[in-house]
Amino acid sequence: MSPALSLRRLRSASQGAGVLITLGVLLVALTLGMGQLEPLFRALFPSVSNPLYTRDSYLNLMLAHLGLVAVSSLISVSIGIAAGLFVTRPAGREFEPMVSSLAAIGQTFPPAAVLAIAVPLAGFGFAPTIIALSLYGLLPVIQNTITGLNTVPETTREAARGNGMSAWQILWRIELPLAMRVIIAGIRVSVIINIGTATIGSTVGAKSLGTPLIAGLVSNNLAYIIQGAVLVGLLAIVADLAFERLERRFSFGG
Amino acid sequence: MIELQGLTKTYAGKTVVDDITLTFGTGEFGVLIGPSGCGKSTTLKMINRLIPLSAGRITLGGEDIATLPVEQLRRRIGYAIQSTGLFPHWSVARNIATVPQLLKWPKSRIDDRVDELMTMFHLDPAAFRDKLPHQLSGGQAQRVGVARALAADPEVLLMDEPFGAVDPITREVLQAEMRRVHQQTGKTIVFVTHDMDEALSLATRIALLNDGRLIQYERPVEMMVDPADDFVREFIGQADLGLKLLSRRWVHQYQRPPSLAPADALPEPGSHWWLVDDQGRPTALAGARLDDEDAVTRVKAEWVATPEMSMKEALSRMVWYRVMALPVVDGDGKLIAEVGMQGVMGMENSVQTPPATLASTAVRPGETAPTASDGKPA
Repeated sequence: MSPALSLRRLRSASQGAGVLITLGVLLVALTLGMGQLEPLFRALFPSVSNPLYTRDSYLNLMLAHLGLVAVSSLISVSIGIAAGLFVTRPAGREFEPMVSSLAAIGQTFPPAAVLAIAVPLAGFGFAPTIIALSLYGLLPVIQNTITGLNTVPETTREAARGNGMSAWQILWRIELPLAMRVIIAGIRVSVIINIGTATIGSTVGAKSLGTPLIAGLVSNNLAYIIQGAVLVGLLAIVADLAFERLERRFSFGG
Repeated sequence: MIELQGLTKTYAGKTVVDDITLTFGTGEFGVLIGPSGCGKSTTLKMINRLIPLSAGRITLGGEDIATLPVEQLRRRIGYAIQSTGLFPHWSVARNIATVPQLLKWPKSRIDDRVDELMTMFHLDPAAFRDKLPHQLSGGQAQRVGVARALAADPEVLLMDEPFGAVDPITREVLQAEMRRVHQQTGKTIVFVTHDMDEALSLATRIALLNDGRLIQYERPVEMMVDPADDFVREFIGQADLGLKLLSRRWVHQYQRPPSLAPADALPEPGSHWWLVDDQGRPTALAGARLDDEDAVTRVKAEWVATPEMSMKEALSRMVWYRVMALPVVDGDGKLIAEVGMQGVMGMENSVQTPPATLASTAVRPGETAPTASDGKPA
């Protein structure tokens, strides 16, 4: 790589890195050091006898939350990209309207309703939450995969065929890299939705950052709600910034 | 090299290419031309099977292309389209290396080949290797596109309106480079365009299509002089036919030995002569001006001719700079010949003096030597 190119990459990489790093450090510090803030919460909520959620450590809750988001996003992304790829191939093109509307229907269900349906089937806890989140995060991935692949110019594809690439080589070397920015934008939306929605998993017994939130709502403890909400919000912002930077790597000036 | 036999393409009952039979010989620069929708692009794309043919047969070096594995066939055929065909996420070097990489050449061989091609197209490898396509000008991107098509040294080069998206000035530069590359490599080229001037400046043979049918397949000068029908005549355009003819004549065909300053006597009235410096470069022209027979005109770089220049360009310089003769110089700027109005009128020299370096390329592949009858009006 030439110095000019790597310099350009470096410069664009450093843009906004400060904000991301600052917020990331803040997120880790709050997760590990929420206990240190007990005097603050005591001062803010003098009427509450127990203003710090202590039934579980925030580190455990954060890891559980990340686990839920990671597993459900992995499922959404795998199924979403596979479906998007399938309907943009000649063999699957006729299924595109069906797949698109199925994914859209998946998103019109409120996640709470999906949870309610999933609990009798999958029991309480982790599994129904994963089902609900995966279903909910599917649409942006499918839609953006289809859009991204369709934005690859026909001339580019023709040039690839004309130069003797096989369908597989065209997909891997040309179509996917060129569609990647749009696909990652879809994954970004899906992950951000799931970070927020994972909190309601706690209503069916899945451990997450929603656990103190629900506990706070049940016991009318605003301090619990703030602690959970701040961490979830911060996590969503950090993830969003990180994805934005990932997207930028796949921009080729055109 | 490439034979089309009864080539036919029908889309939904409509015949877009209708029973075309023609042969592009080895080393030929064949141009498919015609109005839009005439089937020229479709014909081209059937050669590398981007479009399947409905009937007929195409052979490449005697082999029926239908019998070859399609990817293998395409790697044997260079393919260049408008600059948008470059892969936007790959560097210039990687774009050029597309087919060699598919053919799994060793890395050092690919690198050497990329450098060689970039040099051939006047792109400094150090400066351009790592640039992305969007950082290139239209002309540079187009050069990369042609370099990519040539990378694996294909037997045949197919070009689909490659210069359609660049400005007229760049287009002329690219056309000149294309002529040079064709001379250097001797490749068989099939080139699609709708621009008759482009066809006349590049082709050794022109195939004129209309409504999917082949109207005439002929060498450019012959097509101008002897059009098959009114459609051909109209398509070529009659108004500047003479200038078009000149665009197919080259200075080296019409140049003659320069008249140099006589050692002892004054030149005869009405004659002219060149003054040269001690390195043999022309410095001034005495005479040969209509406005003032005795004038001495300083030779400027802008009105010097080269052997590869078209007579159209030479005439243009004569008119613009108001001289009756141009000095013809070699690569070092040395005066080797002169060309004047006698060349514009199509009169060849009694003494042919092609410079030694040009002797081998004076006649382009696939083209017979120009004869005096070239200029004969129809």
